[in-house]
Amino acid sequence: MSNGFPKAEFRNTPAAVVVPFYLYAAAGFLVCTILLLLSAGSFTLHFFNPAVLAITHVMALGWGTMIILGASYQLLPVLTERSLWSFKLAQWSFVLAAVGIPLLVYGFYTFNMGWPAKWGGRLVLISVLLYLINIVKSSRTGKKINVHACFMATAAGWLFITAFFGLALVYNFTWPFLPKDILAYLPLHAHAGLLGWFLLLIFGVGSRLIPMFLISKHEDKKRLWIIFGLVNGGLLFFLFSFYLNDKYAVIVPAMMIGTALLLFAGYIYKVWKSRIRKKVDQPMRVSLLSVAMMLVPLCCLLIASAWWISSKHQAQMVLLYGFIILFGWLTSIILGMTFKTLPFIIWNNCYHDKAGVVKTPDPKELMSATLFKWMALCYLPGFVLFSAGILLEQLVLLKSGAGALIGAALLYNLNVIKVWLHKPVV
Amino acid sequence: MNVISNHTINATIALAALEEVLDPEIGLNVVDLGLIRQLDFDEPNKRIFVSMTLTTQFCPMGETLTGAVKRVLQRTFGDVEINVHLCFDPPWTPDRISEQGRSFLNQ
Repeated sequence: MSNGFPKAEFRNTPAAVVVPFYLYAAAGFLVCTILLLLSAGSFTLHFFNPAVLAITHVMALGWGTMIILGASYQLLPVLTERSLWSFKLAQWSFVLAAVGIPLLVYGFYTFNMGWPAKWGGRLVLISVLLYLINIVKSSRTGKKINVHACFMATAAGWLFITAFFGLALVYNFTWPFLPKDILAYLPLHAHAGLLGWFLLLIFGVGSRLIPMFLISKHEDKKRLWIIFGLVNGGLLFFLFSFYLNDKYAVIVPAMMIGTALLLFAGYIYKVWKSRIRKKVDQPMRVSLLSVAMMLVPLCCLLIASAWWISSKHQAQMVLLYGFIILFGWLTSIILGMTFKTLPFIIWNNCYHDKAGVVKTPDPKELMSATLFKWMALCYLPGFVLFSAGILLEQLVLLKSGAGALIGAALLYNLNVIKVWLHKPVV
Repeated sequence: MNVISNHTINATIALAALEEVLDPEIGLNVVDLGLIRQLDFDEPNKRIFVSMTLTTQFCPMGETLTGAVKRVLQRTFGDVEINVHLCFDPPWTPDRISEQGRSFLNQ
Protein backbone atom coordinates (compact mmCIF):
# COMPACT_ATOMS: atom_id res chain seq x y z
CA MET A 1 0.00 0.00 0.00
CA SER A 2 1.17 3.47 -0.72
CA ASN A 3 1.74 5.61 2.33
CA GLY A 4 0.27 8.52 0.43
CA PHE A 5 3.22 10.84 0.86
CA PRO A 6 5.06 11.86 -2.29
CA LYS A 7 8.17 12.75 -0.31
CA ALA A 8 9.24 9.64 1.56
CA GLU A 9 11.71 11.58 3.67
CA PHE A 10 9.01 13.65 5.39
CA ARG A 11 8.51 12.89 9.08
CA ASN A 12 6.48 14.67 11.72
CA THR A 13 8.56 15.92 14.63
CA PRO A 14 7.97 13.29 17.37
CA ALA A 15 6.00 14.33 20.46
CA ALA A 16 8.96 13.22 22.62
CA VAL A 17 11.04 16.04 21.08
CA VAL A 18 8.40 18.75 21.44
CA VAL A 19 6.50 18.06 24.68
CA PRO A 20 9.44 18.62 27.14
CA PHE A 21 9.63 22.23 25.94
CA TYR A 22 5.94 22.75 26.77
CA LEU A 23 6.30 21.20 30.24
CA TYR A 24 9.41 23.20 31.05
CA ALA A 25 7.77 26.44 29.87
CA ALA A 26 4.67 25.76 31.99
CA ALA A 27 6.88 25.31 35.08
CA GLY A 28 8.82 28.44 34.09
CA PHE A 29 5.61 30.47 33.95
CA LEU A 30 4.62 29.30 37.44
CA VAL A 31 8.09 30.05 38.87
CA CYS A 32 7.95 33.47 37.31
CA THR A 33 4.58 34.40 38.82
CA ILE A 34 5.78 33.19 42.26
CA LEU A 35 8.87 35.39 41.88
CA LEU A 36 6.54 38.29 40.99
CA LEU A 37 4.77 37.88 44.33
CA LEU A 38 7.97 37.41 46.33
CA SER A 39 9.64 40.42 44.69
CA ALA A 40 6.62 42.68 44.15
CA GLY A 41 8.41 45.52 45.94
CA SER A 42 11.18 45.48 43.31
CA PHE A 43 8.67 46.79 40.79
CA THR A 44 8.50 50.11 42.64
CA LEU A 45 12.26 50.56 42.12
CA HIS A 46 14.39 51.23 39.04
CA PHE A 47 14.12 48.36 36.55
CA PHE A 48 17.81 47.50 36.83
CA ASN A 49 17.61 45.41 40.00
CA PRO A 50 18.33 41.70 40.63
CA ALA A 51 14.72 40.53 41.01
CA VAL A 52 13.47 42.29 37.88
CA LEU A 53 16.44 40.99 35.88
CA ALA A 54 15.81 37.45 37.12
CA ILE A 55 12.06 37.60 36.42
CA THR A 56 12.65 39.08 32.96
CA HIS A 57 14.98 36.21 32.07
CA VAL A 58 12.67 33.49 33.42
CA MET A 59 9.86 35.02 31.37
CA ALA A 60 11.86 35.60 28.21
CA LEU A 61 13.84 32.35 28.26
CA GLY A 62 12.13 29.85 30.57
CA TRP A 63 8.62 30.70 29.42
CA GLY A 64 8.54 32.48 26.05
CA THR A 65 11.62 31.06 24.36
CA MET A 66 11.22 27.48 25.61
CA ILE A 67 7.65 27.14 24.40
CA ILE A 68 8.40 28.85 21.10
CA LEU A 69 11.39 26.55 20.50
CA GLY A 70 9.16 23.53 21.10
CA ALA A 71 6.27 24.82 19.01
CA SER A 72 8.54 25.85 16.16
CA TYR A 73 10.14 22.38 16.02
CA GLN A 74 6.58 21.06 15.60
CA LEU A 75 5.33 23.74 13.19
CA LEU A 76 8.45 24.14 11.09
CA PRO A 77 7.38 21.55 8.49
CA VAL A 78 4.08 23.42 7.96
CA LEU A 79 5.95 26.68 7.40
CA THR A 80 8.97 25.51 5.43
CA GLU A 81 7.33 22.53 3.71
CA ARG A 82 9.97 20.02 4.75
CA SER A 83 10.87 17.96 7.83
CA LEU A 84 12.95 19.21 10.71
CA TRP A 85 16.62 18.68 9.81
CA SER A 86 17.67 16.99 13.07
CA PHE A 87 15.57 15.69 15.96
CA LYS A 88 18.73 14.98 18.00
CA LEU A 89 19.87 18.58 17.74
CA ALA A 90 16.41 19.72 18.89
CA GLN A 91 16.68 17.46 21.96
CA TRP A 92 20.16 18.78 22.77
CA SER A 93 18.92 22.35 22.47
CA PHE A 94 16.34 21.48 25.14
CA VAL A 95 18.83 19.88 27.53
CA LEU A 96 21.31 22.76 27.28
CA ALA A 97 18.67 25.47 27.72
CA ALA A 98 16.97 23.53 30.53
CA VAL A 99 20.23 23.48 32.52
CA GLY A 100 21.46 26.93 31.45
CA ILE A 101 18.35 29.00 32.22
CA PRO A 102 18.15 28.25 36.00
CA LEU A 103 21.89 28.91 36.38
CA LEU A 104 21.59 32.24 34.60
CA VAL A 105 18.49 33.25 36.58
CA TYR A 106 20.15 32.25 39.87
CA GLY A 107 23.08 34.47 38.91
CA PHE A 108 20.77 37.43 38.32
CA TYR A 109 18.62 36.84 41.42
CA THR A 110 21.65 36.79 43.70
CA PHE A 111 23.42 39.32 41.48
CA ASN A 112 26.41 37.02 41.35
CA MET A 113 27.91 37.22 37.88
CA GLY A 114 30.40 34.45 38.68
CA TRP A 115 30.29 30.90 37.35
CA PRO A 116 26.49 30.27 37.55
CA ALA A 117 25.59 33.25 35.35
CA LYS A 118 28.53 32.62 33.00
CA TRP A 119 27.85 28.90 32.60
CA GLY A 120 24.14 29.57 32.33
CA GLY A 121 24.77 32.10 29.57
CA ARG A 122 27.18 29.78 27.74
CA LEU A 123 24.74 26.85 27.80
CA VAL A 124 21.86 29.04 26.60
CA LEU A 125 24.04 30.40 23.79
CA ILE A 126 25.02 26.89 22.62
CA SER A 127 21.38 25.82 22.79
CA VAL A 128 20.36 28.80 20.64
CA LEU A 129 23.15 28.00 18.17
CA LEU A 130 21.84 24.44 17.79
CA TYR A 131 18.34 25.84 17.19
CA LEU A 132 19.67 28.30 14.60
CA ILE A 133 21.53 25.53 12.72
CA ASN A 134 18.42 23.33 12.75
CA ILE A 135 16.13 26.10 11.50
CA VAL A 136 18.50 27.27 8.76
CA LYS A 137 19.16 23.70 7.55
CA SER A 138 15.43 22.94 7.57
CA SER A 139 14.51 26.18 5.79
CA ARG A 140 16.79 25.63 2.80
CA THR A 141 14.23 24.17 0.44
CA GLY A 142 15.89 25.09 -2.83
CA LYS A 143 12.46 26.18 -4.02
CA LYS A 144 11.18 29.75 -4.16
CA ILE A 145 11.69 31.84 -1.02
CA ASN A 146 9.06 31.19 1.61
CA VAL A 147 8.20 34.35 3.56
CA HIS A 148 7.22 32.43 6.72
CA ALA A 149 10.49 30.48 6.72
CA CYS A 150 12.38 33.77 6.29
CA PHE A 151 10.66 35.24 9.34
CA MET A 152 11.56 32.13 11.32
CA ALA A 153 15.21 31.86 10.24
CA THR A 154 15.82 35.60 10.73
CA ALA A 155 14.18 35.45 14.18
CA ALA A 156 16.52 32.58 15.09
CA GLY A 157 19.45 34.76 13.94
CA TRP A 158 18.31 37.63 16.17
CA LEU A 159 17.92 35.21 19.08
CA PHE A 160 21.54 34.17 18.63
CA ILE A 161 22.66 37.82 18.53
CA THR A 162 20.61 38.53 21.68
CA ALA A 163 22.10 35.56 23.56
CA PHE A 164 25.64 36.40 22.40
CA PHE A 165 25.30 40.04 23.43
CA GLY A 166 23.69 39.01 26.74
CA LEU A 167 26.66 36.76 27.54
CA ALA A 168 29.01 39.61 26.65
CA LEU A 169 27.16 41.83 29.15
CA VAL A 170 27.56 39.14 31.85
CA TYR A 171 31.32 38.99 31.14
CA ASN A 172 31.47 42.77 31.28
CA PHE A 173 30.67 42.60 35.02
CA THR A 174 33.91 40.66 35.66
CA TRP A 175 36.12 42.12 32.95
CA PRO A 176 34.73 45.51 31.91
CA PHE A 177 35.49 46.00 28.22
CA LEU A 178 32.46 47.97 26.99
CA PRO A 179 33.06 51.74 26.77
CA LYS A 180 29.67 52.83 28.18
CA ASP A 181 27.70 52.03 31.32
CA ILE A 182 25.89 48.68 31.12
CA LEU A 183 22.49 50.42 31.34
CA ALA A 184 23.14 52.00 27.96
CA TYR A 185 23.39 48.56 26.34
CA LEU A 186 20.30 47.02 27.92
CA PRO A 187 17.83 48.48 25.36
CA LEU A 188 19.89 46.95 22.53
CA HIS A 189 19.96 43.52 24.17
CA ALA A 190 16.27 43.71 25.13
CA HIS A 191 15.00 44.87 21.72
CA ALA A 192 17.10 42.40 19.74
CA GLY A 193 15.25 39.76 21.80
CA LEU A 194 11.78 41.29 21.96
CA LEU A 195 11.54 42.53 18.38
CA GLY A 196 14.10 40.44 16.51
CA TRP A 197 13.21 37.16 18.16
CA PHE A 198 9.69 37.25 19.58
CA LEU A 199 8.01 39.74 17.25
CA LEU A 200 9.47 38.37 13.99
CA LEU A 201 8.75 34.79 14.96
CA ILE A 202 5.20 35.48 16.08
CA PHE A 203 4.54 37.48 12.89
CA GLY A 204 5.93 34.65 10.75
CA VAL A 205 4.09 31.86 12.51
CA GLY A 206 0.90 33.85 13.21
CA SER A 207 0.52 34.96 9.60
CA ARG A 208 0.45 31.28 8.60
CA LEU A 209 -1.42 29.68 11.48
CA ILE A 210 -4.17 32.22 12.18
CA PRO A 211 -5.57 32.00 8.59
CA MET A 212 -5.27 28.19 8.82
CA PHE A 213 -7.18 27.98 12.10
CA LEU A 214 -9.85 30.46 10.98
CA ILE A 215 -9.99 28.95 7.44
CA SER A 216 -9.52 32.23 5.68
CA LYS A 217 -8.76 32.79 2.03
CA HIS A 218 -6.94 36.04 2.69
CA GLU A 219 -3.32 35.99 1.60
CA ASP A 220 -1.05 38.99 1.13
CA LYS A 221 2.61 37.97 0.76
CA LYS A 222 3.61 41.48 -0.32
CA ARG A 223 2.35 42.96 2.95
CA LEU A 224 4.21 40.26 4.89
CA TRP A 225 7.47 41.12 3.10
CA ILE A 226 6.93 44.80 3.91
CA ILE A 227 6.39 43.90 7.58
CA PHE A 228 9.55 41.76 7.48
CA GLY A 229 11.53 44.69 6.06
CA LEU A 230 10.08 47.20 8.53
CA VAL A 231 10.86 45.11 11.62
CA ASN A 232 14.40 44.23 10.53
CA GLY A 233 15.04 47.76 9.20
CA GLY A 234 13.63 49.31 12.39
CA LEU A 235 15.79 47.11 14.53
CA LEU A 236 18.95 47.84 12.53
CA PHE A 237 18.16 51.56 12.63
CA PHE A 238 17.67 51.27 16.42
CA LEU A 239 21.13 49.67 16.77
CA PHE A 240 22.57 52.42 14.58
CA SER A 241 20.80 55.15 16.59
CA PHE A 242 22.74 53.94 19.64
CA TYR A 243 25.86 55.53 18.14
CA LEU A 244 24.05 58.78 17.32
CA ASN A 245 23.65 59.47 21.05
CA ASP A 246 20.40 61.31 20.35
CA LYS A 247 17.36 60.54 22.50
CA TYR A 248 15.00 61.40 19.64
CA ALA A 249 16.71 59.09 17.13
CA VAL A 250 14.58 56.30 18.61
CA ILE A 251 11.46 57.85 17.02
CA VAL A 252 12.32 56.62 13.50
CA PRO A 253 12.71 52.92 14.43
CA ALA A 254 9.67 53.21 16.74
CA MET A 255 7.64 54.49 13.78
CA MET A 256 8.92 51.68 11.55
CA ILE A 257 8.02 49.05 14.15
CA GLY A 258 4.70 50.81 14.82
CA THR A 259 3.87 50.70 11.10
CA ALA A 260 4.76 47.00 11.01
CA LEU A 261 2.45 46.37 14.00
CA LEU A 262 -0.41 48.24 12.33
CA LEU A 263 0.13 46.41 9.04
CA PHE A 264 0.12 43.07 10.85
CA ALA A 265 -3.01 44.01 12.82
CA GLY A 266 -4.61 44.99 9.47
CA TYR A 267 -3.57 41.66 7.96
CA ILE A 268 -5.14 39.73 10.84
CA TYR A 269 -8.29 41.90 10.60
CA LYS A 270 -8.66 40.97 6.90
CA VAL A 271 -8.09 37.31 7.76
CA TRP A 272 -10.79 37.61 10.42
CA LYS A 273 -13.27 39.30 8.08
CA SER A 274 -12.80 36.70 5.33
CA ARG A 275 -12.86 33.66 7.63
CA ILE A 276 -15.14 30.76 6.78
CA ARG A 277 -15.07 29.35 10.29
CA LYS A 278 -17.40 31.68 12.15
CA LYS A 279 -17.30 30.01 15.55
CA VAL A 280 -13.98 30.81 17.21
CA ASP A 281 -12.86 28.73 20.19
CA GLN A 282 -11.52 30.11 23.51
CA PRO A 283 -7.78 29.53 22.82
CA MET A 284 -8.09 31.32 19.48
CA ARG A 285 -9.87 34.27 21.12
CA VAL A 286 -7.09 34.64 23.70
CA SER A 287 -4.50 34.48 20.88
CA LEU A 288 -6.34 37.18 18.94
CA LEU A 289 -6.41 39.34 22.07
CA SER A 290 -2.62 39.42 21.87
CA VAL A 291 -2.80 41.05 18.42
CA ALA A 292 -4.70 43.97 19.98
CA MET A 293 -2.25 43.99 22.93
CA MET A 294 0.71 44.51 20.56
CA LEU A 295 -0.07 48.20 20.24
CA VAL A 296 -0.10 48.98 24.00
CA PRO A 297 3.70 48.69 24.55
CA LEU A 298 4.23 51.08 21.66
CA CYS A 299 2.14 53.71 23.47
CA CYS A 300 4.27 53.17 26.62
CA LEU A 301 7.44 53.62 24.59
CA LEU A 302 6.17 56.85 23.03
CA ILE A 303 5.19 58.22 26.48
CA ALA A 304 8.59 57.17 27.90
CA SER A 305 10.32 59.07 25.06
CA ALA A 306 8.26 62.25 25.58
CA TRP A 307 10.22 65.34 26.62
CA TRP A 308 7.90 66.20 29.53
CA ILE A 309 8.41 62.89 31.32
CA SER A 310 10.70 62.99 34.39
CA SER A 311 13.48 60.39 34.57
CA LYS A 312 11.69 58.65 37.47
CA HIS A 313 8.47 58.26 35.49
CA GLN A 314 10.45 57.34 32.42
CA ALA A 315 11.97 54.37 34.29
CA GLN A 316 8.45 53.42 35.44
CA MET A 317 7.15 53.51 31.85
CA VAL A 318 10.08 51.36 30.72
CA LEU A 319 9.24 48.82 33.42
CA LEU A 320 5.58 48.86 32.38
CA TYR A 321 6.61 48.56 28.72
CA GLY A 322 8.62 45.40 29.45
CA PHE A 323 5.89 43.97 31.68
CA ILE A 324 3.18 44.51 29.04
CA ILE A 325 5.30 42.89 26.34
CA LEU A 326 6.25 39.81 28.39
CA PHE A 327 3.16 39.29 30.56
CA GLY A 328 0.61 40.81 28.18
CA TRP A 329 1.33 40.36 24.50
CA LEU A 330 3.66 37.35 24.68
CA THR A 331 1.84 35.52 27.47
CA SER A 332 -1.62 35.91 25.96
CA ILE A 333 -0.52 34.46 22.63
CA ILE A 334 1.21 31.56 24.40
CA LEU A 335 -1.76 30.86 26.71
CA GLY A 336 -3.98 30.62 23.65
CA MET A 337 -1.67 28.83 21.23
CA THR A 338 -0.61 26.18 23.78
CA PHE A 339 -4.11 24.76 23.64
CA LYS A 340 -4.28 25.06 19.86
CA THR A 341 -1.15 22.93 19.49
CA LEU A 342 -0.44 20.68 22.51
CA PRO A 343 -3.76 18.74 22.47
CA PHE A 344 -3.19 17.96 18.77
CA ILE A 345 0.37 16.79 19.35
CA ILE A 346 -0.78 14.44 22.13
CA TRP A 347 -3.89 13.37 20.19
CA ASN A 348 -1.80 12.53 17.14
CA ASN A 349 0.57 10.53 19.32
CA CYS A 350 -2.28 8.55 20.93
CA TYR A 351 -4.70 8.09 18.04
CA HIS A 352 -2.83 8.37 14.72
CA ASP A 353 -3.37 4.65 14.03
CA LYS A 354 -6.88 4.51 15.49
CA ALA A 355 -8.61 7.25 13.49
CA GLY A 356 -11.06 5.66 11.07
CA VAL A 357 -11.11 2.37 13.01
CA VAL A 358 -12.90 3.44 16.19
CA LYS A 359 -14.50 6.64 17.39
CA THR A 360 -11.77 8.74 18.94
CA PRO A 361 -12.25 11.72 21.28
CA ASP A 362 -12.03 15.19 19.85
CA PRO A 363 -8.52 16.68 20.42
CA LYS A 364 -10.17 19.63 22.18
CA GLU A 365 -11.57 17.17 24.74
CA LEU A 366 -8.03 16.45 25.94
CA MET A 367 -7.93 19.84 27.67
CA SER A 368 -10.40 21.21 30.20
CA ALA A 369 -12.43 24.14 28.87
CA THR A 370 -13.42 25.00 32.46
CA LEU A 371 -9.80 25.23 33.62
CA PHE A 372 -9.04 27.34 30.56
CA LYS A 373 -11.93 29.71 31.29
CA TRP A 374 -10.85 30.16 34.93
CA MET A 375 -7.25 30.60 33.85
CA ALA A 376 -8.33 33.46 31.54
CA LEU A 377 -10.46 34.94 34.34
CA CYS A 378 -7.42 34.98 36.68
CA TYR A 379 -4.97 36.13 34.03
CA LEU A 380 -6.75 39.26 32.80
CA PRO A 381 -7.37 40.95 36.19
CA GLY A 382 -3.91 39.81 37.37
CA PHE A 383 -2.29 41.49 34.39
CA VAL A 384 -4.32 44.70 34.76
CA LEU A 385 -3.76 44.93 38.55
CA PHE A 386 -0.01 44.37 38.28
CA SER A 387 0.29 46.94 35.46
CA ALA A 388 -1.66 49.45 37.57
CA GLY A 389 0.62 48.62 40.51
CA ILE A 390 3.73 49.48 38.44
CA LEU A 391 2.17 52.73 37.27
CA LEU A 392 0.87 53.84 40.67
CA GLU A 393 3.72 52.25 42.70
CA GLN A 394 1.17 50.52 44.92
CA LEU A 395 2.40 47.35 46.63
CA VAL A 396 -1.13 46.12 47.34
CA LEU A 397 -1.99 46.24 43.62
CA LEU A 398 1.29 44.53 42.71
CA LYS A 399 0.73 41.73 45.24
CA SER A 400 -2.91 41.15 44.34
CA GLY A 401 -2.00 41.17 40.64
CA ALA A 402 0.81 38.67 41.26
CA GLY A 403 -1.60 36.49 43.30
CA ALA A 404 -4.08 36.36 40.42
CA LEU A 405 -1.27 35.59 37.96
CA ILE A 406 -0.11 32.69 40.19
CA GLY A 407 -3.70 31.40 39.99
CA ALA A 408 -3.59 31.68 36.19
CA ALA A 409 -0.21 29.90 36.04
CA LEU A 410 -1.42 27.09 38.34
CA LEU A 411 -4.54 26.52 36.22
CA TYR A 412 -2.45 26.63 33.05
CA ASN A 413 -0.07 24.02 34.51
CA LEU A 414 -2.96 21.77 35.56
CA ASN A 415 -4.43 21.94 32.06
CA VAL A 416 -1.07 21.24 30.40
CA ILE A 417 -0.50 18.25 32.72
CA LYS A 418 -4.04 17.00 32.00
CA VAL A 419 -3.34 17.05 28.25
CA TRP A 420 0.13 15.52 28.67
CA LEU A 421 -1.09 12.63 30.86
CA HIS A 422 -3.95 11.75 28.53
CA LYS A 423 -4.10 8.00 27.90
CA PRO A 424 -5.83 6.55 24.83
CA VAL A 425 -9.43 5.73 25.74
CA VAL A 426 -10.00 3.34 22.81
CA MET B 1 -18.94 17.24 -4.20
CA ASN B 2 -16.43 17.77 -6.98
CA VAL B 3 -14.94 14.24 -6.83
CA ILE B 4 -13.94 12.47 -10.04
CA SER B 5 -14.56 8.73 -10.28
CA ASN B 6 -14.80 5.91 -12.81
CA HIS B 7 -17.55 4.16 -10.81
CA THR B 8 -20.46 6.29 -9.59
CA ILE B 9 -22.10 3.72 -7.31
CA ASN B 10 -18.89 2.67 -5.57
CA ALA B 11 -17.81 6.29 -5.26
CA THR B 12 -21.11 7.13 -3.53
CA ILE B 13 -20.59 4.26 -1.08
CA ALA B 14 -16.97 5.26 -0.49
CA LEU B 15 -17.78 8.93 0.07
CA ALA B 16 -20.58 8.05 2.51
CA ALA B 17 -18.07 5.93 4.45
CA LEU B 18 -15.37 8.61 4.32
CA GLU B 19 -17.71 11.07 6.02
CA GLU B 20 -16.62 9.26 9.20
CA VAL B 21 -13.06 10.57 8.80
CA LEU B 22 -12.86 13.93 10.53
CA ASP B 23 -10.14 16.54 10.36
CA PRO B 24 -9.32 16.67 14.10
CA GLU B 25 -8.66 20.41 14.18
CA ILE B 26 -11.64 21.60 12.17
CA GLY B 27 -14.07 18.85 13.18
CA LEU B 28 -15.34 18.54 9.59
CA ASN B 29 -15.16 15.34 7.56
CA VAL B 30 -12.64 14.96 4.73
CA VAL B 31 -15.39 14.76 2.09
CA ASP B 32 -17.12 18.04 2.97
CA LEU B 33 -13.74 19.64 3.54
CA GLY B 34 -12.97 18.84 -0.12
CA LEU B 35 -9.87 16.77 0.57
CA ILE B 36 -10.95 13.84 -1.63
CA ARG B 37 -10.26 14.57 -5.29
CA GLN B 38 -10.52 11.28 -7.16
CA LEU B 39 -11.68 7.73 -6.46
CA ASP B 40 -10.91 5.07 -9.06
CA PHE B 41 -11.93 1.44 -8.74
CA ASP B 42 -10.02 -1.37 -10.44
CA GLU B 43 -12.49 -4.19 -9.72
CA PRO B 44 -10.73 -7.05 -11.55
CA ASN B 45 -7.53 -6.46 -9.58
CA LYS B 46 -9.34 -5.48 -6.36
CA ARG B 47 -7.67 -2.10 -6.08
CA ILE B 48 -8.89 1.37 -5.13
CA PHE B 49 -6.95 4.51 -6.02
CA VAL B 50 -7.60 7.57 -3.92
CA SER B 51 -6.26 10.97 -4.85
CA MET B 52 -6.58 13.37 -1.98
CA THR B 53 -5.08 16.57 -0.67
CA LEU B 54 -4.52 18.23 2.72
CA THR B 55 -5.40 21.75 3.86
CA THR B 56 -1.67 22.36 3.91
CA GLN B 57 1.23 20.31 2.61
CA PHE B 58 3.16 18.74 5.51
CA CYS B 59 0.11 19.04 7.74
CA PRO B 60 1.07 17.34 11.05
CA MET B 61 -2.21 15.40 10.82
CA GLY B 62 -1.48 14.26 7.25
CA GLU B 63 -0.41 10.70 8.04
CA THR B 64 -3.30 10.29 10.46
CA LEU B 65 -5.83 11.38 7.80
CA THR B 66 -4.43 9.25 4.97
CA GLY B 67 -4.24 6.26 7.34
CA ALA B 68 -7.85 6.78 8.41
CA VAL B 69 -9.02 7.03 4.77
CA LYS B 70 -7.30 3.70 4.00
CA ARG B 71 -8.76 1.97 7.06
CA VAL B 72 -12.30 3.18 6.37
CA LEU B 73 -12.19 2.08 2.72
CA GLN B 74 -10.68 -1.27 3.71
CA ARG B 75 -13.51 -1.81 6.19
CA THR B 76 -16.14 -0.80 3.60
CA PHE B 77 -14.88 -2.74 0.59
CA GLY B 78 -13.20 -5.70 2.31
CA ASP B 79 -10.21 -7.41 0.78
CA VAL B 80 -8.92 -4.72 -1.56
CA GLU B 81 -5.64 -2.91 -1.99
CA ILE B 82 -5.93 0.80 -1.25
CA ASN B 83 -3.50 3.26 -2.80
CA VAL B 84 -3.69 6.80 -1.44
CA HIS B 85 -1.91 9.44 -3.43
CA LEU B 86 -1.47 12.96 -2.09
CA CYS B 87 -1.81 15.71 -4.65
CA PHE B 88 -1.03 19.37 -3.91
CA ASP B 89 -1.29 20.78 -7.39
CA PRO B 90 -3.46 22.79 -7.33
CA PRO B 91 -3.25 23.38 -3.58
CA TRP B 92 -6.35 23.10 -1.42
CA THR B 93 -8.32 26.32 -0.94
CA PRO B 94 -11.44 26.97 1.19
CA ASP B 95 -13.42 27.05 -2.11
CA ARG B 96 -13.35 23.24 -2.02
CA ILE B 97 -15.48 23.11 1.13
CA SER B 98 -19.00 21.86 0.34
CA GLU B 99 -22.18 23.78 1.16
CA GLN B 100 -22.88 21.38 4.06
CA GLY B 101 -19.34 21.97 5.27
CA ARG B 102 -19.81 25.73 5.15
CA SER B 103 -23.04 25.56 7.11
CA PHE B 104 -21.27 23.37 9.71
CA LEU B 105 -18.48 25.94 10.03
CA ASN B 106 -21.00 28.79 10.24
CA GLN B 107 -22.74 27.26 13.25
